[in-house]
Amino acid sequence: MSDVDIHHLAAAYALDALDQRERMAFEAHYPSCEVCHADVLDFRSTLAQLADAAPVAPPASVKQGVMAEIAQTRQLSPVVPAAVADLAERRRRRQRSLSVALAAAAAVVVFAAGAVVTNNPSTPAYASALAEVLASDDSRVAELGGEAAGTVRVAWTEAGARAVLLGDGLPAAPDGQAYELWLIGPEGPVPMRVLDAATDGRIRATLDNVEGSPAAWGVTLEPSAGSPAPTGDILYLAQV
Amino acid sequence: MGVLSRARAPRSSAAEGVVNDPAGYDAPGTDPMAVLLRRAGRGDQLAFERLYDALAPMVHGVVLKVVRDPSQSDEVTQEVFVELWRLAARYDTAKGSVKAWASTVAHRRAIDRVRSEQASRNRMAKDVSSVMPPHDVVVSEVESTFEQARVRHALGQLSPLQREAVELAYFGGHTYREVAVLLDAAEGTIKTRIRDGMIRLRDELGASHE
Repeated sequence: MSDVDIHHLAAAYALDALDQRERMAFEAHYPSCEVCHADVLDFRSTLAQLADAAPVAPPASVKQGVMAEIAQTRQLSPVVPAAVADLAERRRRRQRSLSVALAAAAAVVVFAAGAVVTNNPSTPAYASALAEVLASDDSRVAELGGEAAGTVRVAWTEAGARAVLLGDGLPAAPDGQAYELWLIGPEGPVPMRVLDAATDGRIRATLDNVEGSPAAWGVTLEPSAGSPAPTGDILYLAQV
Repeated sequence: MGVLSRARAPRSSAAEGVVNDPAGYDAPGTDPMAVLLRRAGRGDQLAFERLYDALAPMVHGVVLKVVRDPSQSDEVTQEVFVELWRLAARYDTAKGSVKAWASTVAHRRAIDRVRSEQASRNRMAKDVSSVMPPHDVVVSEVESTFEQARVRHALGQLSPLQREAVELAYFGGHTYREVAVLLDAAEGTIKTRIRDGMIRLRDELGASHE
């Protein structure tokens, strides 16, 4: 997707009218693009008015259901101010010198020589890796489903080597545990990575040197050091 | 909006460069719903109940438009509010008004429901016609309240082709590529119609951030 194209996707994104691949690409792009970010906010505000023009009161049973369910539903913790300030600072830095930031991010990827895990949703390292994966002719994307809250999506290249994982709205892992990603191939589950969800429930992970072709992706809760084979229930799963 | 309504600013036309915001879609800093949401984020179920009362007709309206089936719509509306409860402490006024946020969550949930429904139906039987909702996705039967008249007027400013594309996407729950198939038009054409239509709608209805 060219640079020009992606700036034109804000309206379709706000309408939820992008397919999954474009949606991921746009979500990687717009938080750090001032114009697209403003467009998304504008269009959402506009659509709220459209939504509000045809109000329909739900049956009373819905309200009863909601009140009963929230009484036993844990709320996510707020994002701590330090993380917000940190993000804002990073954004300012990036605006000052995008090219320097990109170069630095590339250096981090090379230096880590394996994978870079980051909890900042607009970190160039993850965003550029995602853009690269999605731009490849053999890219695939999957949304992992399950009973657990939040969403986990994976983009990868068929030829292997690289995958990018995006988790959103994930509950914090219990003490002493962490999420672990599994590539489920013909030989069974292969451990990919222990994933730490940030306080805001996000995971942004770039995986290099992925070997094997997935028949499915799965995420389980494991002891925080990770396990060689899954011991927890599969919380998120996508067959591909 | 009952208890949540706030004094309406004097209106002036968008042509004079003043953005109208009579119902709190913008200006999140003065959004009374943001106050309720903040309290809800601390576990205040009463505050959340008031928020429910204020938002439920909008949320259910959009869910019903997209999902259509009444009992499924009830389920989705309930899911939306439980999600809003879960995320209450994460709401950030910089991301827009509570209404904009709630309608975004509601629309996304409704879309998820119809797309997963569609995917499972496609697996069951390759009957494309059965998964296409009726074509009458028009914002009609609106009561003659001022706000609704305003939105109806704004929609009327779109070209028929723009309006059709925007409504098929938003209320029909189709991706722009699917809209292109439905309307037998090029994808690029539909993308442009959607974009131009949304820009026109934004200019008519007003949407600004500080």
